[in-house]
Amino acid sequence: MSGISNYVAPRSLDEAAELLRAGNVTLLAGGTDLMPQSRNGRTQLRPTLMSIRRVAELRGISEAAGNVRIGALTTISELRDSVLVRERLQALWQACDRFASDQIRNAATIGGNICNASPAGDTLVPLLVLDAQVELASKSNGTLATRAVPIADFLLGPGQTARAATEILSGIVLALPPRHFISSFFKFGTRPALDISLISVGLAARRAGNALHDVRVAFGAVAPRPIRAPAAEAALEGKALDDGVIAVAAAAAEAEIHPISDVRASDWYRREMVRNMFTRVLAHVRDR
Amino acid sequence: MGAAVDIARGETLIGKRVPKMDAPEKASGRTRYIHDINLPGQLHAKILRAGVVHARIVSIDTSAAKALPGVHAVITAADVPWQRPIGVAKDHLPLKTDRVRSPRDEIAAVAADSAEIAEAALRLIKVTYDPLPVVTSAEDALRPGAPLLHGEELTWTAPDGRREVLHAPSPDNVAMTFNYAQGDVARGEAESDTVVEDVFWLHYVTHCCMGVSGVIAEFDADDNLRLYSNTQVPFLHKREFAELLGIDPGRIRVIQPPIGGGFGSKLDIYPFEPIAIFLAKITQRPVKLIFTREEEFLASPTRQPVLLKLRSGCKRDGTLTFRTVDTLHDNGAYTSWGATTPFVMMQTISSLYRVPHCQYRTRAVYTNNPYAGSFRGYGNLQATFAVEAHMDKLAEAVGMDPVTFRLRNAQEPGEITPQGMHFKSCGFKQCLETAALRSDFRRKHNEYRAKWHDSNPLKRGVGMASMLHVGGGAKIYPSDGCGTILKIDDFAHLTLITGASEIGQGSETVLAQLVCEELGLPLSAVTVVNNDTDITPWDVGVHASRTTFVAGNSAIGAARKAKAKILAAAAAKLELPVERLGLRAGCVVETGSGNRFIEIGKLIRSLHFSDKAELVMTTHYYEPPSQHQDREFKGDVSAAYAWATQVAEVEVDTMTGIVRLLRITGAHDVGRVLNRLGIEGQIEGGIVMGQGYATTENLIVENGVVRNPSFRDYKLVTAPEIPAIDISFIETMDGEGPQGAKGVGEAPAICVAAAVANAIYNATGVRLYALPFTPENVYRALKGQAQPPVWRVAS
Repeated sequence: MSGISNYVAPRSLDEAAELLRAGNVTLLAGGTDLMPQSRNGRTQLRPTLMSIRRVAELRGISEAAGNVRIGALTTISELRDSVLVRERLQALWQACDRFASDQIRNAATIGGNICNASPAGDTLVPLLVLDAQVELASKSNGTLATRAVPIADFLLGPGQTARAATEILSGIVLALPPRHFISSFFKFGTRPALDISLISVGLAARRAGNALHDVRVAFGAVAPRPIRAPAAEAALEGKALDDGVIAVAAAAAEAEIHPISDVRASDWYRREMVRNMFTRVLAHVRDR
Repeated sequence: MGAAVDIARGETLIGKRVPKMDAPEKASGRTRYIHDINLPGQLHAKILRAGVVHARIVSIDTSAAKALPGVHAVITAADVPWQRPIGVAKDHLPLKTDRVRSPRDEIAAVAADSAEIAEAALRLIKVTYDPLPVVTSAEDALRPGAPLLHGEELTWTAPDGRREVLHAPSPDNVAMTFNYAQGDVARGEAESDTVVEDVFWLHYVTHCCMGVSGVIAEFDADDNLRLYSNTQVPFLHKREFAELLGIDPGRIRVIQPPIGGGFGSKLDIYPFEPIAIFLAKITQRPVKLIFTREEEFLASPTRQPVLLKLRSGCKRDGTLTFRTVDTLHDNGAYTSWGATTPFVMMQTISSLYRVPHCQYRTRAVYTNNPYAGSFRGYGNLQATFAVEAHMDKLAEAVGMDPVTFRLRNAQEPGEITPQGMHFKSCGFKQCLETAALRSDFRRKHNEYRAKWHDSNPLKRGVGMASMLHVGGGAKIYPSDGCGTILKIDDFAHLTLITGASEIGQGSETVLAQLVCEELGLPLSAVTVVNNDTDITPWDVGVHASRTTFVAGNSAIGAARKAKAKILAAAAAKLELPVERLGLRAGCVVETGSGNRFIEIGKLIRSLHFSDKAELVMTTHYYEPPSQHQDREFKGDVSAAYAWATQVAEVEVDTMTGIVRLLRITGAHDVGRVLNRLGIEGQIEGGIVMGQGYATTENLIVENGVVRNPSFRDYKLVTAPEIPAIDISFIETMDGEGPQGAKGVGEAPAICVAAAVANAIYNATGVRLYALPFTPENVYRALKGQAQPPVWRVAS
């Protein structure tokens, strides 16, 4: 008894946006979050279920004018198989590599992972440190228009985003990182496969000799949404990584997080792991 | 890898690598589990569970559910006033009358045209509850003034008005007690140079069978019940269902479709089974009831959680002196087999090593928690965990290495222990020595220990643990036997009809091997029939690692009778003395030379289609020569005992608490290897189950509520976590075993957690007293932040 009375499967973004304008629509992409959540009652399906999987313009990874654009329907497997992602967006690639299982990676989309807005969402932390923007398309005044929102502003809380009900997340845009840019994502779970992050760590910076510039640090699963950690970033900015700097940055990070206790871990353990794993990530960057 | 067996050349099948007979069907997805079976006219049932932990039922309104189109029946306890309590202590009514004691409790059930309609109908049932105070732990249950879970007697009124008390009140929440003693522990303690005492906590885990629970019940026009069931004990349950329904057991037929995992979970009757039967009776339609995965977590049994206090001592020379054990078992809201696991635990405590003085006191206590059933190992994982921790602690205290200390106290062949167990075959010392040698234990144990204070956050350690478990049945019921019917048709095709159930352990293949070995026929000549109580002869059930041993001996007995009949006929036909004849490669042959006289099929045809028209069909019932224990739990309960030593090598990440299993080196006294491929699979599977118990699996129960009823948060071991596994078989050729074999179904799961605990200590210098070794629990212990278990039990 799902309450779905209408199923639609548009073939263009324009058509999809039009259908969305009519209201009462649940969007379906990979379904890996939507299906279990609708079954366990966390998500109420609206009368119209709209699959956007036939919308070709929502697919694919492209590079133009120093920007990378990733279509919302790009699957986690496609990201993992992309040479561009693997070589230039390492943090995102690492997140996709540790994402759930093969079966889920084959179905799950990056747009879905973003719109699900889980505090532990694997792609969100890399997108934060890569300064990604999300593209939202709608036909609210009759013509198809898009707006871009920084990912940090898009994520509002668990399952909550800045997407309006009439909008479709159509893609992600980010500047292709410059040379000597490093990015890194570390997913900490209790097992090497099929796991939800207990905490995750993202780091991106331009490296000049031993020093890091333009440092971005983000953490997952330690607050209602994945967060940037400006104090940790400031502690690292322009500094050569040594044990002292790493310790100061780790202490700063600890003050910026607000983990909770749940069935997966206690807040105390999450704090300890943020400190230990952030330290480990930084030490790894230093020694690389 | 062993070469393929060439039966045509008359080679033996014993010890070879024989693929399981059901493997092609399973691997190609053809196997029809209960989930795949649909009967004409079948209805689908769903159960409404309480969702509240402890409450009085004030009212139940099913009117809206009954009115939903597609619903055929909605029942509550009021609709089945004749229902009788189920379970080991008969303290559990399938449908609850006036009170719920656990969120899983069954309030109502629906039979409808589809599972979706049944589900929708459940949501229309209105129940009001009056909450009662919740008993969340066994310690709390024993506190004076604690709310009583079963404080009132449970009575049953027969249709003729006769009233019976089926469960007496439990005025102190104690569901069951076991006490055992040998020698004089005070004297043992006085003789000790070293004494250690610790409290251990063994947590909740559950079986996680890939096939969720399910049943199909139907009555025929004569009111005979046919039950499609995943039970592990079809004949015992036939009797129990008959009692439950007040009918003659002869009118119940249990058919077992291939079972998607048992591991002990299907040894008891659970409410969903009688409920499906009630619905089938009321609707006069076949009723199918299949759990959801969430239901499987909430409403199938758990392994028994145990708080255990152990006090042990030894002399300066390493000789064990005494053991005193107190345990508290959280029984949950009702009594199932979990309450009786102390029966097995005491065997390990009294008899794994030679201990002159032992005292064992244990209570299983009612709480509002999930209730515990039987689970592979049956309490032995819990007992072994504590005993083997103390073996290491005592060894360290007297300055001996763990191997030498264990060898000094290990049992030997011929020993009759103070509990009365007689170890006719016993490869324990070879197990210890082999596992130690193959894992390079002594060297690593010294080297790893020397690195406790190194700067490297990754620490390695080795730990060992051993186990003793029944390997020749367990005489707990009036009979521990199994029957076989063997039919050889006129093309020398064998139909092996056995009482023994296949639950994935490979019994069909091993039984076929044993029979073929006697009759000189290829495995391809065998069909095994083992899943229908109207056809198969009696068997006590698949439990206690007994099937290979007991059903194997039964099958061999039937095969030998058939062989005698064939040889006698051949002797008459060939006019040769029977002593000169044997069966090999499908023929009657001359013993010694191997010269072929006649094909078995041809000989049987000549018997069958002759004036005498004789069939070759034999039966055999095998009862192992074991004893019932006396009232003090003394006696030789099994015809043979299995032994094993396992060494775990681990890597502990001290920055995260993650314990990675690198290698398990196991040496198992299996009597004799029958199917090498099968036993390797069974032991590897058991080790991985033990690994899950040790490191990842944890059914989180808070205030009576299961917090993680899904595979997302109940973590089974995944493929990349499985360690390298090195298994050695110690073949002691048990004199009573089929071809010398002993049962080892449970053995491999039993000592993994104990070995891992000892390995973590060897890696870090920190000993953990509570399972599971999840990263957070280990990290806490490493940081000195863990709360070790304490014994705060009212006496």
